[in-house]
Amino acid sequence: MRVRFCFILLFVLVFSFFGFSIPCFGANGGDALSVISDVEGRIVVCYRAVAEADRAGANVSSLLRVLNEAGWLLSRAKVAYSQGDFGSAVAYANECGSMLDGFVDEADGLRRDAEAAARWDFMVNFFGSAVGAVCIVVGGYALWVFLKRREEIAERV
Amino acid sequence: MSIKEYGLLYWVVVGVLALLVASPFLSRVLVYPRTEFFTELWILDADHRAEKYPFNITRNQNYTVYLGVGNHLGYCAYYMVQVKFRNQSQEAPTSFGPIENRSPSNLPSLFNVSAFVADEQVLEVPLTFSFDYVWDESLSKVEFLGLRLNGVWVNMTGYSVSWDSGKREFRGFLFFELWLYNSREDAFQYHGRFVSLRFNMTVA
Repeated sequence: MRVRFCFILLFVLVFSFFGFSIPCFGANGGDALSVISDVEGRIVVCYRAVAEADRAGANVSSLLRVLNEAGWLLSRAKVAYSQGDFGSAVAYANECGSMLDGFVDEADGLRRDAEAAARWDFMVNFFGSAVGAVCIVVGGYALWVFLKRREEIAERV
Repeated sequence: MSIKEYGLLYWVVVGVLALLVASPFLSRVLVYPRTEFFTELWILDADHRAEKYPFNITRNQNYTVYLGVGNHLGYCAYYMVQVKFRNQSQEAPTSFGPIENRSPSNLPSLFNVSAFVADEQVLEVPLTFSFDYVWDESLSKVEFLGLRLNGVWVNMTGYSVSWDSGKREFRGFLFFELWLYNSREDAFQYHGRFVSLRFNMTVA
């Protein structure tokens, strides 16, 4: 009787461990897929921010390095998910996500700096250069006319 | 001394000065616009050359190649390189003709390598891989168990290569398809390029 009770108790303990404990403390497929999808979406948002910064002329090489590392972790998460290792999938996806914290702000900051530099560059090197060249030609012509007239007056006198 | 005698010299000096000042402006205006937008995709051996690609593969032996992507699209691009494996009877992707008519392989991707590359920049990724497989002597074919790519184990159950009696080899191809993220459609599209490594899986 006592032995039977011990067997039943052991069965209940083992069943509760595998049937209750693991799903509670480990990740399931749905959770893993949701985390991976979130991180995938964040990578696209970060890519768009860095593409904007690049278009503005910012040096985005350090941001791209982070993005490439994050992409690698996302790929690892997907492989782990496809192999049913949901715990590793969530861990890799979370690591990937944490790499992207503050990424968009940094990219936006670089974009703003690059836009300001581009405006200054346009004013000096494009607009300033063109206006300067026109000024030299007009000024040269004015000086030429002035010197010619002065010479003519001097000749008349 | 008359100013008119120095007229030519005067205007040459004014012209040269004006050109010097206008040079930053002219350097931007007198540039041919880019008309060709494309992506380079290449694969190099362990010595960064196109010479000693791994061919005779030994089980669980590491091999290194370099996968390179060069972006000339005019914007920062988000690529995905799909790593796939096929045997000689399975179809390869296409990489000729208009890009919209090229088609990728219908085999599933074993691993995706993300590549973010700025315009006019190059990204080179070292790839170290090894195959685990068994030789089914009775059926005369090699059955794959897995691929280890940069330390990541990828399951290859169901992949196999048969004996090619003509070439006397167990021939397989590891190939890398280039896909490009399309922001408008929020999806990756086959970019019409792939590179491939041909292997002989040795079973001695």
